[in-house]
Amino acid sequence: MNIQTLLTPFARKPSKELLSKDRSTVRVGIPKVLNIWNTHQFWIGFLEGIGIKYTNIVFSSNTSEEQSREFGKGRGTVDCCYPVKAMSGHYGELIFGQKKKINVLLSPLIYSMPSSLQGHVVANNTCTRVMAGAENIKSGYMKEKDVFVENQIKYASPYCTLDDRIIVPQQLFDGLKDIFDLTYEETKKAVEIGFNALDTFNKKMQKQSMDILEQCAKTNKPCVLVIARPYHMDTGIGHEIETDLQAHGYPIVWMQYFPTDPTLMNWLFEEDIKEKQIKSPFDISDVWPSSYSSNTNEILWAAKIAARFPWITCVIRLSSYECGMDQPTFTPTQKIVENSGTLFFKFGDLDSTKPSGSVRIRVETIVHYVKKNSASIIEKKLARMKTQWPPVKAEALV
Amino acid sequence: MEPTPHYKAYKPKPFTKEQRKDTTLLFGGLTWKHERLIQGAFHNLNYKAEPLPNITRADLDTGKELIDVGACCPTIFTTGNLVNYLKKKKEEEGKEAAVNDYAYFTMGACGPCRFGQYRESYSMALDGIGLRDFRMFFLSQTELNQGDQEGGGLEVNMPLTTGIVWAILIGDLLTDLEFQTRPYEVVPGQTNIVLKECIEIMYQAFKNRPIDKIKGNKWLTLGWHVVSNYFTDALKEVIAKWKTIEVNKAQAKPMVKITGEFWLQTHEGDGNYNIKDWLEKEGAEVIPPPVAVWLDYLMQFPLHALNERKNVDKGTKKKILMLKGMIKMYHWTYNRMRKSLNEMPYEMPSQKTLAELAAPYFNFRLDGGEGHMLIGKALYAYLNNKAHMTCELTPYSCMPNTMSVGAMANVRGKYPELLYAPIEIKGDAEIHALSRCQMILTEAKKRALKEYDEVMKKCNMTPEKLEWIALNAPEYKEASFKVPHNGYAGTGANYITMLSQYKGKLTKTLKKTATVTPKPIAAETVLTEVAATETVTVQEPELTYA
Ligand code: SF4
Ligand code: SF4
Repeated sequence: MNIQTLLTPFARKPSKELLSKDRSTVRVGIPKVLNIWNTHQFWIGFLEGIGIKYTNIVFSSNTSEEQSREFGKGRGTVDCCYPVKAMSGHYGELIFGQKKKINVLLSPLIYSMPSSLQGHVVANNTCTRVMAGAENIKSGYMKEKDVFVENQIKYASPYCTLDDRIIVPQQLFDGLKDIFDLTYEETKKAVEIGFNALDTFNKKMQKQSMDILEQCAKTNKPCVLVIARPYHMDTGIGHEIETDLQAHGYPIVWMQYFPTDPTLMNWLFEEDIKEKQIKSPFDISDVWPSSYSSNTNEILWAAKIAARFPWITCVIRLSSYECGMDQPTFTPTQKIVENSGTLFFKFGDLDSTKPSGSVRIRVETIVHYVKKNSASIIEKKLARMKTQWPPVKAEALV
Repeated sequence: MEPTPHYKAYKPKPFTKEQRKDTTLLFGGLTWKHERLIQGAFHNLNYKAEPLPNITRADLDTGKELIDVGACCPTIFTTGNLVNYLKKKKEEEGKEAAVNDYAYFTMGACGPCRFGQYRESYSMALDGIGLRDFRMFFLSQTELNQGDQEGGGLEVNMPLTTGIVWAILIGDLLTDLEFQTRPYEVVPGQTNIVLKECIEIMYQAFKNRPIDKIKGNKWLTLGWHVVSNYFTDALKEVIAKWKTIEVNKAQAKPMVKITGEFWLQTHEGDGNYNIKDWLEKEGAEVIPPPVAVWLDYLMQFPLHALNERKNVDKGTKKKILMLKGMIKMYHWTYNRMRKSLNEMPYEMPSQKTLAELAAPYFNFRLDGGEGHMLIGKALYAYLNNKAHMTCELTPYSCMPNTMSVGAMANVRGKYPELLYAPIEIKGDAEIHALSRCQMILTEAKKRALKEYDEVMKKCNMTPEKLEWIALNAPEYKEASFKVPHNGYAGTGANYITMLSQYKGKLTKTLKKTATVTPKPIAAETVLTEVAATETVTVQEPELTYA
């Protein structure tokens, strides 16, 4: 999935008078890695909010072997999962690979994430490697000599808890005041702009997913749900496996942008709530009581959705090589999906190279099964539902 | 045909108050010393409780078979350990007894890494051996009063929590004594024998804790633990016993500080290739990592979070004060108990210092694993000359620790002299791991020897003078004698420096006991030549003072 990361010129911006400084010539590079994939709009909004021109916000390109080879070589410090290892190449590309040099490299330490499950789970923390990946990667650029200083780049790595909006202004002010010479007031305003941009974008994406789901329901056609971490949208991390599938005519929905519309949610979960299995559609304690990690929580929630939504007849699970967070979720996720009769296919251990041959064969197999079984899967899943589609309009059942 | 019901996660059956007298609570994850003391705390509250057997290689194999591939070794080992125990019980007592007469209790309902997801691995393993009805309870490691667990059979209240926390602290203190003594013992094996006796003294203290008199009010319970002399008196008994161990600290041994992932660094057994034991056998003195530091670290997180909210929530100021008070009290309690043991156990490092040392390399707000502490501890030991090397134990595929280890590359770039051995532990690749450690240890040994020789020269110390001291100041041969840190990493170097500074005391000792019956101290060839029963008159040799 390719998500445009830059086009927010119409987002609300602060008036020039609010800004304590002219920052219109400052160029900021952001490594497009890990949870930047689902918070990019916040960062763009925030930076624009402090007066950085959107044309001066540079994201590194998608992960690729060439990027690693050209820019990340020799910068690795430790062996770990591929999405973190690949960060070195993104840093290098921003430092060495820009025609117009960047002045600031912004690589936030995102401790927790906004999530639709917030308030219904124990916590929304990011994976420990997601939150600390930047500290590990920066060390590869500082161990011998300070490459940032050498290239006249200010390295900025603010800590932030994006699930707790009220304290984000203070956190970003603490982490960035010296980099951008900020005042607290303008930081606060910019954070607000950032969150507005993120919310607007997420709503837009959810609307698009909703259109796909409604279309499938209307035409009684199947669709495929991708269960993965946000950065599997990176073509170098997720290897566009879902695109290969889409080419066979099956609409793809990414779990990150599954609609949270109350009517749909109630339709899917009202029985579980009535039976007191869960307290709300976003409660996952029936399948995953250890709900501390936001992306993991969403994976389990998405599996529950897939098990219930009749026209999702197939789930593609993507997981990176050496992903410690995914490991305990493999069996529960598969069981949740398969118990409902929905097809489940896992592409595990994804690394730097796309296993093209085996992906092609597996995609063909998946297509075969989806073609063959979708009609009966939809029928069986519809029979489980207590009420008909389209559901009666409802307020949130919480 | 009825559709397959939706998947549901493991949910333990209730454990009721009535079942308490017939149900054995299983627990584990620490050292045998900590576990025996925790058992005392349970027994004190009339629970039947038993630590799981020590981890073995077989547990790794069992764990691997039963849970999804790719887990970190602490998860695999601990899962396998529980499963093997239950399998044995099932064989010996039958399935029903294994399910109904036992329940497992562990910390783990927290944390952003797999530590927060042990429940899933354990339940998967239970499924694998057909014991899904076995009851497991996962408690938060940050709350003192968690109330009744499902069914009320296990009350996680102040008497239980204080019992467990005090057991952990005392377990740490005794572990410090153990590791400071065993490498220097004159009679091989004596330390372990005395240690067992001391743990039993403390077990009895926990078992007989007068909890009935103080139970009822949670603050009163906490207050009693903090101010009463109950445990400090018992610790004085311990140090009196410890005194009977004879040591010779005039030896050059590399000091190896152990850091790393919580479970792995605390563990003493196959889980980490018995690395502490191995290091001792290789001639090192090990600085074990106290669990107390981990608890201190955990208390910092709510404090940071509250501090951050100061400007947006007025109510936080009071909470900050309370939490700071708790942390102060915690340190005070630890130090008070240290004092009862002649201050031999190491002081807890200040969390603020560790965070400041690590700040350029790792943000202290990032949790999971040891976070910034891994860096802070290594730097602290190096910059303050507290150890010759740091041996860092990271489980293969551990998520958080790999990040801290990665950040250490920067530290090593800045401090190339820092001896650092990051050892990745898989559980079944012992030779590889130990040989990696051996390489750094060889360098640490050289440094320890060089340091010792230099101090001997600087203090104008000779084997003859050491002999004289051994004969005239027998208190220095008592294991309960604290060797102060005189700026050197090695105990031997600090010991020699101390001796050279103790002229007044030695002269006094000499005057009182001009004629003594010498007892030889091992490893000093000169002394072994002196007949043990022979009465000799000794002259005070000339000492040069540093
Ligand atoms: S969730 Fe998995 S792949 Fe992502 S950073 Fe964590 S360990 Fe790596
Ligand atoms: S800290 Fe590492 S080894 Fe320990 S439970 Fe978490 S992932 Fe596993």
